[in-house]
Amino acid sequence: MNEERRKILDMLAQGKITVEEAEKLLAAVGETGPGSGATAATDASGRRSWKYLRIQVEPGPASEDGDRVNIRVPFKLIRAGLKFAAFIPREAHDRVNKAFKEKGMDVDLARITPQDLEEIVSNLDDMTVEVDGKDKVRIFCE
Amino acid sequence: MLPMIVRFKVKEPGRRGFGLWFPAIVIWILLAALMLVLLPFLLLAALVTWGRGPGPRLLLIYPLVGSVLWNLRGLTIDVDQKDHVLLIDFI
Repeated sequence: MNEERRKILDMLAQGKITVEEAEKLLAAVGETGPGSGATAATDASGRRSWKYLRIQVEPGPASEDGDRVNIRVPFKLIRAGLKFAAFIPREAHDRVNKAFKEKGMDVDLARITPQDLEEIVSNLDDMTVEVDGKDKVRIFCE
Repeated sequence: MLPMIVRFKVKEPGRRGFGLWFPAIVIWILLAALMLVLLPFLLLAALVTWGRGPGPRLLLIYPLVGSVLWNLRGLTIDVDQKDHVLLIDFI
């Protein structure tokens, strides 16, 4: 849940706004929230196509060092980079699979096709990750 | 489209930081020259390893490198730590 939605729900809980007003506000936030910025275009299937994958780390209230990270990666670059997967030598597959398994993912690299990778990238736009800890981490598309 | 400008900003503790707007065309020209020089060696390596090695895949290197460079525009890496600052921005 993003901050704007939480604020609206807090206002509703505190009785500052009515249910109808909250609905309108939530609908408005849904249209303009994170991951639905002005850079998104709509493709033929009506699905939004995002231009960038954003990773933001901002210091939270308890942060001591105040580190900030802002990374913006064009999706086209991710797609182009993934094509280099064809250059991973077969000998390295076992080591990569083992590393995946150690992290709890039963993945066979040899079975991942370029179509699979493309599908993963094209579905990244549904992903928004927000972690509120010492630092605030947000991963989203725009 | 190829990025035309690369913006660098580096700051380390105890050192004076620097910022730079670099015309990326210089890098592309040098890289193109390097790739042209290496092309015969790449073709030779592809021929030698065609049957029993990465031969056909070697031929994909140039188009793939081109595709990555072509799509670099918009890539931004901005890390702002207590004492360190690093900014790389392809414009």
